[in-house]
Amino acid sequence: MTESQDNFQGWMTEPTSLSAGAQQTQKQESVAIQLMKHEKEVGVLSNELVSANTAADQKEQSTSEIRKDYVYRSTGRPEETDMLKSLVTDQDAPGNCGLYLPVSSNCSAIESSEDSEEDMYRDAEEIEREKILLGETSSSDYKLSVAPEMDIMEYCRKEWRGNTPVAKTMRKGYEAVAQKFASIRRVRGDNYCALRATLFQALSQATQLPSWLQSEDFTMLPENLLSKYDWIKQWQLKQNLGRRMGEISDEIKEYLILLRKKWKSISEIKGPIEKQEACDKLFKNEEEEYCLYEALKFLMLNTAIELYNDDKNGRRVPVFSWLLFARDTSSNPCQLMHNHLNHIGHSGGLEQVEMFLLAYALQYTIQVYRLYKYSTDEFITLYPNDPEENWPVVTLITEDDRHYNIPVRMCQETML
Amino acid sequence: MSYVPGQPVTAVVQRIEIHKLRQGDNLILGFSIGGGIDQDPTQNPFSEDKTDKGIYVTRVTEGGPAEVAGLQIGDKIMQVNGWDMTMVTHDQARKRLTKRNEEVVRLLVTRQSLQKAVQQSMMS
Repeated sequence: MTESQDNFQGWMTEPTSLSAGAQQTQKQESVAIQLMKHEKEVGVLSNELVSANTAADQKEQSTSEIRKDYVYRSTGRPEETDMLKSLVTDQDAPGNCGLYLPVSSNCSAIESSEDSEEDMYRDAEEIEREKILLGETSSSDYKLSVAPEMDIMEYCRKEWRGNTPVAKTMRKGYEAVAQKFASIRRVRGDNYCALRATLFQALSQATQLPSWLQSEDFTMLPENLLSKYDWIKQWQLKQNLGRRMGEISDEIKEYLILLRKKWKSISEIKGPIEKQEACDKLFKNEEEEYCLYEALKFLMLNTAIELYNDDKNGRRVPVFSWLLFARDTSSNPCQLMHNHLNHIGHSGGLEQVEMFLLAYALQYTIQVYRLYKYSTDEFITLYPNDPEENWPVVTLITEDDRHYNIPVRMCQETML
Repeated sequence: MSYVPGQPVTAVVQRIEIHKLRQGDNLILGFSIGGGIDQDPTQNPFSEDKTDKGIYVTRVTEGGPAEVAGLQIGDKIMQVNGWDMTMVTHDQARKRLTKRNEEVVRLLVTRQSLQKAVQQSMMS
């Protein structure tokens, strides 16, 4: 028991102690410079802003800093302007981040080239690239939450050009992934990206409804839980919706029904190409897509409540559940909701312990290539780390445990 | 059709005889393979069992020797000229299919539609 706890602590504390790493400091400076650029890359997904925020956080060097530090920024699409503005004025956002973000209708995405010698201003190559990107962007790709496939090594070459230690680690990491996967699909970098990447992968290979979706009481979940736990009324719905008291249960029920409906219809598609097309279509439909994330969050809450109660009643629970509730900000499910789940998608993403929660809620094993952990035994991490045999596996890539992308395709396909 | 290492494999198979086409110095078959025990099976869109590390046909060139012989996309290759293909690396599979002195390869493949057809006829 102590052993596995140690393992957990070994990498549970990693994210918050990133600040101690010299590598991060270096990245921090160059990314700060990057933020000053006003690069216009419409339709290009990026995770660079994520690293920017991590960088800003590290200035505080505080390991007890909690979720409010992890403020993400969406990529620069006009329809997100309002969201961006609200994020900037968000009370939780550290002052530094507010300064950097250019709030305009041409909000830009920023490249995360790890090249601290790079000039502040764009060079000819980037201007060329921008022209090409603007030319190629069609309105149908405009809202795609999961970008089309791109060769992994090509992606790596574009993103990591410098010779800093971090860049070298990233390149080696991507090479290792490229042994198994040929392509990468960039995932839209808002605070839903972990949910987005996981759900996309799960649906892309879904051949049947998971057992928990098949249960008849599934749609009664919001009602049942609300009747037992009054505090669930303070569940924060999607940002765009106003809070409608007393209708939360109905709202969430709708989302759960939508999740089941989509999962069912996609899993019934036989052909892999058609299945992928259906997934792509779903993840272009913003309205539906975000409802699904709310459903997932609610399922995570449900699982957390179950685990909490099991533990209180003396039943065995997985180790991560202790860690989940050991945090000052989430010593019980109510706090978990207020301080964590309510923020997911708005001012924060998923912490590692919450990846476990997600995996348990979906009954999926989430396998993650964590590139910054290359050449350690955490390079490939499984959530949960001793998975059930019959839980399907989905694979994600992350450079920094903040933003997740999707690797695709069995690597070697040989023409004969 | 789940494959448990160590257990005998039962499958309904189709014989496919491919006559390779000579193109200059090369003998081509006109299809692509994916899979292998050294590859990640979870990304295979054709397998029913996501732990199946077998060799699958991922593409078939239109009008090529493989298509003419009846090979279909999604087929799992069980054997090539008597050599097992269920527990091989990707490269081993490639080698077994592309031997320079062999102009004809006889494959045993299995496909889901076959399994289902047999099951249905057994039930009637």
